[in-house]
Amino acid sequence: MTQLAGGDGRSPGTSLSVPVSGRVGVQAWWRTPTARRYLFGYTLLAPAVLYVSLLVGVPFAFSLYLSMSDASVGNPVARFVGLENFKAALENATFYTAVRNTLVFTVGAGILKGLLGTTLAFLLLQSFKGRKVVRALLVIPFTLPIAVSVLGWKWMFDSQFSVINWALSRLQLIGPYGSPDWPVWLGQPGLALFSVMFVNVWRGFPFSAIVLLAGLTSVPPEIIDAAKVDGTTFMQRFRLVIVPMIAPILFIGSAFDTVFTLSDLSIVYLLTNGGPDAATEILPTLAYNTGIRAGALGRGAAISLFLFPLLLPAMILLLRTLRRRQY
Amino acid sequence: MIAAGAGHPRSPRSKEIRRHALIYLGLAPFLVLAVFPVFWMAITAIKQDPDLYLVGAAPFWFRLPPTWKNFDFLFNNTFYKDWIINTMAISFWVSAITILTSVPAGYALARLRLPFAENLGIGIFMTYLVPAIILFIPLARVVSTLDLQDSWWSLVVVYPTFTIPFCTWLLMGFFKTVPFEIEEAAMVDGCGQLGALCRVVLPVSWPGIITAIIFSFTLSMQDFLYSLAFVSISDQKPVPLGVATELIRGDIYFWGSLMAGALLVGVPVAIVYNLFLDKFISGITGAAIK
Repeated sequence: MTQLAGGDGRSPGTSLSVPVSGRVGVQAWWRTPTARRYLFGYTLLAPAVLYVSLLVGVPFAFSLYLSMSDASVGNPVARFVGLENFKAALENATFYTAVRNTLVFTVGAGILKGLLGTTLAFLLLQSFKGRKVVRALLVIPFTLPIAVSVLGWKWMFDSQFSVINWALSRLQLIGPYGSPDWPVWLGQPGLALFSVMFVNVWRGFPFSAIVLLAGLTSVPPEIIDAAKVDGTTFMQRFRLVIVPMIAPILFIGSAFDTVFTLSDLSIVYLLTNGGPDAATEILPTLAYNTGIRAGALGRGAAISLFLFPLLLPAMILLLRTLRRRQY
Repeated sequence: MIAAGAGHPRSPRSKEIRRHALIYLGLAPFLVLAVFPVFWMAITAIKQDPDLYLVGAAPFWFRLPPTWKNFDFLFNNTFYKDWIINTMAISFWVSAITILTSVPAGYALARLRLPFAENLGIGIFMTYLVPAIILFIPLARVVSTLDLQDSWWSLVVVYPTFTIPFCTWLLMGFFKTVPFEIEEAAMVDGCGQLGALCRVVLPVSWPGIITAIIFSFTLSMQDFLYSLAFVSISDQKPVPLGVATELIRGDIYFWGSLMAGALLVGVPVAIVYNLFLDKFISGITGAAIK
């Protein structure tokens, strides 16, 4: 039976070594080509599955345990404390600031990346001379290692020698250094949150544009032409024809971007480390500073787990899109 | 006919020029936004220190002659050489682990029609989305249990948690495009399943395998959190962490050397990544447009 279930002519094993009649009852099931193929296949899969289970699955479960213990760097024997860490987080004013900033950061940056990415994608969709060079230059922000480019921004946001301020002051938009309208990008609460968000947008907009471009070029031109013949406006075509067709790729792109934005520590850590006065504190920096810097592993694990409900919608969206695809 | 043509010889051409001008005009702000920071880092890297802090004259060009001093400082007064060697070694081992695990896994998921192959593949890929920020605290325990804290080997253990899921998914897509016939032909010629894989499928799959190696390198280079959390000894750091933590002493920023050190490694990575970017995008979205 097993043998028949697996044999569909293209099977590498069955078509070769199985005489069609007579031996079905004789051969032990684990000797059948199908069983051997399964064994071979799962053996090949085992190293990857084991690695990922041991270093992603187990740590994830372990972080649930840690979050309910008073584990710290100096204290290897942890005590079970129930939901104490979560309660402590919820009683901390900085935690609420971090949640609020995380949401503002992710949603605000997401909207900006969407707008810039869409504009850029439609520009890149045109045919023009030097398109390849332009595209290669435009994706630089996304391809530079994140810590590298954030350091560049830190220098550009310097409180005194900021090149941005130099230009703004030459354009008479702000006063000279020392005057009250001289912006200190990373030192003033509102501006600091805007600045870290801006760097995230700077890094992410090429990704949005390229993903969108990949989607747009996959829409057959005949369909657009047919809609044009039917007398639709550009906005109608965009909303009713293009968006539904590229929806899966949009979902995947935004799911990735959301996860990476929500969980990214390096921009805020390197630019402001949550300051001034927790104005840019986000859940990742709070988790890092509590868990590693202050050594309260249990507390830190609890804070980072608060990210999970925020990540979940993006992951579910991705999962459903991947499972619904056609072969 | 000829006269009519000669009457408006430039009309289509000037229309084309107008169209180009509009497109370039639209692209210009994006180009400035994308490229200026890199230009600014590059020019900072080869400026003399006093030139950085001159107020008044336009800072976009040299007011004092350019210098390689910042690079000298990097190589002679910091652990930069060690950081480069560490980064290379980490990337090498991460790539080795990734290829040895994800090539067989991607092949099995794509070709052997295993039950649950599709769900297993999606499951492995989904772990790519479990972010470092959730895993770094429990992994800190794993690292200290393995006695690897403060050594770059801890990163060799940890980086495959995101390179294996991504590369398995990438290679799975790749192996699906290799024709079944060549494998069947090999087996008719007497190869076993493993023989067919090693002698026939792998040799034609090198573009996919090279892509996977490139991504093991570039994705490892993108990490900051794991290295920050697990490695704090100066000569054990990879380049991004070393530059970001060792060239800032208290309130003093070595801007020139910071930019030099960051770009020296950042630019080659960006170039390679740039060349393979379409593979990255279709790796994560290919499933949706297939």
